[in-house]
Amino acid sequence: MSKVVGIDLGTTNSLVAYANGGAPAVITDESGDTLLPSIVSIDALDTIYVGREAQRRLLTDSARTVYSVKRFMGRGIEDVKDEERWFPFKVSGEAGGVVHIHLGDRELTPPELSGFILRELKRRAEAFFMKEGDFDPEVVAAVITVPAYFNDAQRTATRDAGRLAGLEVLRIINEPTAACLAYGLDKRREGIIAVYDLGGGTFDISILKVEEGVFQVLSTNGDTHLGGDDIDRVLVEIVAADLGLDPATQADAVQAVRKAVIQAKWDLSEFDETHVELSQGPGCTTPYRRRLTRAEFESLIEPIVARTLQPCRRALEDAGLEPGQVADVVLVGGSTRIPMVRREVERLFGKTPHTDLNPDEVVAVGAAVQADILVSGRREMLLLDVTPLSLGIETMGGIVSKIILRNSTIPASGSEMFTTFVDSQTAVDIHILQGEREMATDNRSLGRFKLRGIPPMPAGLPRIQVRFQIDANGILSVSAHELRTGIEQAIEVKPSYGLTDEEVERMLIASFEHAQEDINARMLIELRNEAETIVAATEKTLRRPDFAGIAAALLKANEVVTIHAALTDLKQAMGTDDRDAIQVKTGVLNQATHHLAEVMMNWTVQAALAGRTADDVAAQGR
Amino acid sequence: MQPDTSAIPIEPCKHCGTDAPVDVHFCPRCDRILTLGRHGDYFTFFGLHRRLRVDIKDLEQRFRALSRQFHPDYFHNASTTERLASLERSSYLNDAFRTLRDPLARLEYLLKLEGFKPKESRDASATVPQGLLEEVFELNEELEAIQDIRADGAPADAIAERLDAARRPIEANLAEHERQLDALMATHDARFDAGAAEGRHATLAQLRTLLLERTYLTNLLATVRRELNGGGAASS
Repeated sequence: MSKVVGIDLGTTNSLVAYANGGAPAVITDESGDTLLPSIVSIDALDTIYVGREAQRRLLTDSARTVYSVKRFMGRGIEDVKDEERWFPFKVSGEAGGVVHIHLGDRELTPPELSGFILRELKRRAEAFFMKEGDFDPEVVAAVITVPAYFNDAQRTATRDAGRLAGLEVLRIINEPTAACLAYGLDKRREGIIAVYDLGGGTFDISILKVEEGVFQVLSTNGDTHLGGDDIDRVLVEIVAADLGLDPATQADAVQAVRKAVIQAKWDLSEFDETHVELSQGPGCTTPYRRRLTRAEFESLIEPIVARTLQPCRRALEDAGLEPGQVADVVLVGGSTRIPMVRREVERLFGKTPHTDLNPDEVVAVGAAVQADILVSGRREMLLLDVTPLSLGIETMGGIVSKIILRNSTIPASGSEMFTTFVDSQTAVDIHILQGEREMATDNRSLGRFKLRGIPPMPAGLPRIQVRFQIDANGILSVSAHELRTGIEQAIEVKPSYGLTDEEVERMLIASFEHAQEDINARMLIELRNEAETIVAATEKTLRRPDFAGIAAALLKANEVVTIHAALTDLKQAMGTDDRDAIQVKTGVLNQATHHLAEVMMNWTVQAALAGRTADDVAAQGR
Repeated sequence: MQPDTSAIPIEPCKHCGTDAPVDVHFCPRCDRILTLGRHGDYFTFFGLHRRLRVDIKDLEQRFRALSRQFHPDYFHNASTTERLASLERSSYLNDAFRTLRDPLARLEYLLKLEGFKPKESRDASATVPQGLLEEVFELNEELEAIQDIRADGAPADAIAERLDAARRPIEANLAEHERQLDALMATHDARFDAGAAEGRHATLAQLRTLLLERTYLTNLLATVRRELNGGGAASS
């Protein structure tokens, strides 16, 4: 039987997982990576790169490389104007329409770009099944996760991306809910569970009640434009100002800065201080090094962390609960590795959050579990999610009349009666909105619908019942009847910020024309990935604040020099297309760091056992 | 138990044509999920009597059990008709649960089912219920007085103190309404169990008056609260 997988389509990284009645597991690529960087690059020859190779091209060909595309899904140009300046790619679009992202001379929509990422995950999963000797390795369908606070347009864009990747999207599920499913399955816990999900670009909080295998979401809240990206940008702005960089003309240099500050951000989850380091390159005439302490970092990100707390309080209020009634708090998303985030969550809920499940993988695992439920029809577990935002229509005076309230369990439906204002009127315009505000203009426009074919009658006589149905994916459909005649009304939909079916069809055809697989290119990419992994690990060790002490005490005299030389050599080889050189020099660095890795491992074990600091251990070694 | 004198509406199963009562969820003959009947109500859908006091634990359990029967997750490979039936039945179940789990929403719903008009108009809250005329008059006078002293620059805690004083009788009245609603709901259920249709109808009429007054009192308190948070402008 062909396969149905679970996919976490993230802002920063994407993953694919699979469950076959048994334990769900994340599928790795050929080099053992679980995370696929959500980055797409298209070179001048129209070759499409996805993942780590695209990530490298961010430093060399940033104008043809796009990251964080999820932030653009289902959004309009007016939503992204503020942050556009820091992205290396250019965006355009008409007000109220789909954003177009420029990669060289090509213009692509966010669903197409996300489609490339999904297609790469599909390929990864199929390669895995093939290697397992599966008779039918083809992946035809998927459950894809989205932030709980995604609106209808953002969900629909995600579904379109799946179609463009050649996947039937069996279900769109919410990321925190998926995480809770994985968590609940793992821990067999019942009661009230809060899931705090701070990812690369989005923030969600969901409050669930788990009982008798039913995972019922009580309330959800969040911000679809808040995450690790915002933290990175704060740091990039500081370093870019130090270097006097202009993002408009020095995009490649800004990307190098971005890479360096992300590294420093990660370091600070482990250490009290680190350095942002940039080697000489475009926009950076001398090597740059800036000390960054955890305290300084925390004061910089405090406003971002604070923005997550208000949605948490609102979600609790909507669920009618006090923080003390929450039995377990689960952390999801890479940004929850930041100690300050953990501390603030702990303070709000008054209990230590669970961190034992990998916050990067738990969502994909949950999606795989849901995929398995859909395919097998097994009923032990059931997810009951809610719609995050109220759905309404614009009435006289631009006021919104709500039809389905936020936090309603889905599927949910509602209906509203319409009539005509003038004699023999045969059509009525309806404007559908999502959001909590009074005035239509303050809410998200989902689309405009035209009811046609109303039988000519005196004004006010027709009774047109319009039915709004939100399905289990959180996606809206609309139908209408004229009750006096029983005539089904034709509905014309013009989605705001979305693609029409015809547009998706056309893109589907276009994407086939550009699909190409080059085995040699892929091998080069794999070698570079492997090289990059060891380079990153080595550099991280060298940057440790306590490294000098450890080296002096435990390493041989010329060892550090040898490692630096091997590192420089390999980085130089990675810049070329010479497969043999990359392979050989990866081996050399591996050899050079063999003893260092052993020393670090022993040191970590000893320090953990004795609870001592590096200096103590180093002193002992002396 | 109240005898049900009305005929039970029937709809044929779209799959095998067997006649099935509209509030049966699955076809008695072919066992397929039935399209949603048009004549049912939230109570019968859950297999409950039209009583106002509901055991929430029991309701939640029924909700979970029915969700496990209807949810679209389980009709993934079924025919289009069954998929649609599952979607509609699940939506209806979710609406029903949301309404019945909340005592006041439940009461409002039962009143509508029993033929009481919910509210005269959108501005029902603007017309003062008869029983509250005196109270509302006094409060409005006091609020005007407070607005005057605020305009004259009275200290914030003096204003807060007067607002608190103005709020207390309304809160007491609201608590009294809650108590009476509770008692009347119990009366209603007792009359329902005894099959006393007329007495039950009279109780419902009383409940309706109390409910409208209660809504009005809640709105009044919201007004006072807004005044407390800096006066006048609606904050939400």
